[in-house]
Amino acid sequence: MVPFRSTAAPRARAVALALLALPFLATLASAHEGHDHGAPPPPVSKTIAPRGEAASAAFELVAIPGGDALVLYLDRFATGEPITDALLEVETPAGPATAHPAPDGSYRLPAPWLATRDPKDDHLDLVVTVTASGDLDVLPLTVALPRAADPARSGHAAERQDGHWLHRLTEGLSERLSARDPGAGLAAAGGFVLGLAAMGLMRAGRRAPVLAVLVLAATLVLGATAFAHDAQRGSVDHPEVRAAFVPKPTDLAADLAQRLADGAVFVPKPTQRLLSLRTQVVAEGAFRRTVSLPGRIIPDPNASGVVQSSVGGRLAPPPSGTFPRLGTRVRPGEALALVTPPVQRVDLSDMRQRQGELDQQIAIVQRRVDRYQKLSPSGAVSQVQLDEAQDELKGLKDRRTALDRLRQEPEVLTAPVGGVIAEAAAVAGQMAAPGQMVFQIVDPDRLWVEGLSFDALMPASDATARLADGRSLPLAYQGAGLADRNQAIPVQFAIQGGTEGLRVGQFVTVLAATDAEQRGLALPRASVVRSANGQDVVYAHIAAERYEAKPVRVAPLDGARVLVEAGVEPGTRVVVQGAELLDQVR
Amino acid sequence: MLQRLLTAGTLAIALPFCAHQACAHEGTGEKGGRLADAGPYHIELVTRDRRVEVWVYDAQEKPVSPAGFKGTAILVVGGKPARIVLAPAEARLAGEAAVALGTNPKGVVQITGPDGAAASGKFN
Repeated sequence: MVPFRSTAAPRARAVALALLALPFLATLASAHEGHDHGAPPPPVSKTIAPRGEAASAAFELVAIPGGDALVLYLDRFATGEPITDALLEVETPAGPATAHPAPDGSYRLPAPWLATRDPKDDHLDLVVTVTASGDLDVLPLTVALPRAADPARSGHAAERQDGHWLHRLTEGLSERLSARDPGAGLAAAGGFVLGLAAMGLMRAGRRAPVLAVLVLAATLVLGATAFAHDAQRGSVDHPEVRAAFVPKPTDLAADLAQRLADGAVFVPKPTQRLLSLRTQVVAEGAFRRTVSLPGRIIPDPNASGVVQSSVGGRLAPPPSGTFPRLGTRVRPGEALALVTPPVQRVDLSDMRQRQGELDQQIAIVQRRVDRYQKLSPSGAVSQVQLDEAQDELKGLKDRRTALDRLRQEPEVLTAPVGGVIAEAAAVAGQMAAPGQMVFQIVDPDRLWVEGLSFDALMPASDATARLADGRSLPLAYQGAGLADRNQAIPVQFAIQGGTEGLRVGQFVTVLAATDAEQRGLALPRASVVRSANGQDVVYAHIAAERYEAKPVRVAPLDGARVLVEAGVEPGTRVVVQGAELLDQVR
Repeated sequence: MLQRLLTAGTLAIALPFCAHQACAHEGTGEKGGRLADAGPYHIELVTRDRRVEVWVYDAQEKPVSPAGFKGTAILVVGGKPARIVLAPAEARLAGEAAVALGTNPKGVVQITGPDGAAASGKFN
């Protein structure tokens, strides 16, 4: 009795401990985390052919084995733009080879070694050297291969078959534990309790119950082995086994854009090119909210002018013979028209009378001057008298000439500034009222925009004007009025840069920044789509052929962009073109 | 007795938590080169002037004999790819480049094991 107790008790304790620790020890063996030492994860859908992908900061590469060739698709990593003129050198099992561009934008690498490979190989390791427009990158590429034979068993399971039974049991248990299966935990707890029971019974010196407990323990262990086997064979939730049911290896047409079970959207490269999906790497920044104001184009007040007649009169063409037409370029000071003021009948008789008087006086003074000239050499008339008479005659003649000139000389209308005739109201013979605008001159290179704003805008804020045809013009703030007009403040901006095709009075939409600053990611308006449940989502490009819908909170930013305030991390590749089409994939 | 049993039980439960200490392999390896994963192996790349040396380790960081291995290194030197064939030499795979490799050239090393399976590691 005593020897049994002294030796068997520690042994039983050891067995109990070992039973308890076994499931955990299995995790020790495979504790090397951080990367995958096996084949790449096979596709999770039946209608996706096996493939491989690689990416660097510049490129994104997808390879699809098809028959005796490997089809490669190369895109820019950041934008998703296809690259069709790159040089692809591939390190294959048969030495280095070059992939040739195909008309559809892909690259084709003849791969006779695909047919002669070991049927057990489920992946292929290649090294691709990509040279495209000055960028060079070396990409390691692991391509999953369709299983040629023995499709029922995956490599992992086959390896597990010939392991030791204890190893298999522990692995099965550890898998159950990692799968949060309550059965495995119960088994461990049961073992512990049984060990304790065996200990207690042995200490009490009863042999038969100890044996009963040991038999119970053995049953439990065998049962656990049985369900470990079960886990291997049934395996509804083991992706590596499920991946064995992939379709025919050469069937490239099997690739369909589809929504996967995890919510991501799988879009094969050819479809991506068809939908012309483009992405943008988003960066966080501070943006000013903009308001849009109705506005119209006005001439720059310092580079435009009007030509008005100061007196009423009859319009006549300038000395050049014709009135300037609309659109004629004029220089400052150039004569544009003549205005002949009409003479009233009463004025006319008055003038005639005055004219007669002057003529009479001139005749008298003329005679006096003649007489003085004869007498002055003899000294009978002083030189002073002669000079006075001559001056008087000159003055009278001047007055007579001025009277004539006043009757016939018209007012010349000249251009106050250089520019182009924007408006012309001159017709020969027309009577112009005093102050009437005859011509408007505008410098087409110097135009302003006047908008009506309900908010006070910051003087330094930048603004743009959008035209009906989609063009936008940068604007520089010039000033704002203080007096309300139509319950809004007139704000004036100068148009920076080219003003071709603009006309005065044209309506524009002014987008002016307010002083409220917001932080977030600015994205084109077209990148945000509304999902079926009414949420705003953007599509993130998470892998070469996978897109994930990310719900976002957006705020309006300006005409073309929205501000994403939450939902997307900076550095994410977000679809900015074709998001609407991507959203239709079911 | 019961106390000792409880201590042992606690130990057995605590053990798996220590097991998750991952074998991190960033930075430089024991030969002073850069480390990368290549399929089931870890590889260390040492470039000295024109000489390229690659050491192969298994998942537990134990050296693997290079006998039976083949290798190719494609390294970017001055904007051009340099292809270097590696052959087993002593405890490593070694090769000679046509041009001098700068410090830490980026590129990819592909090794083919004795079983014919290729694996590649990327060095940035």
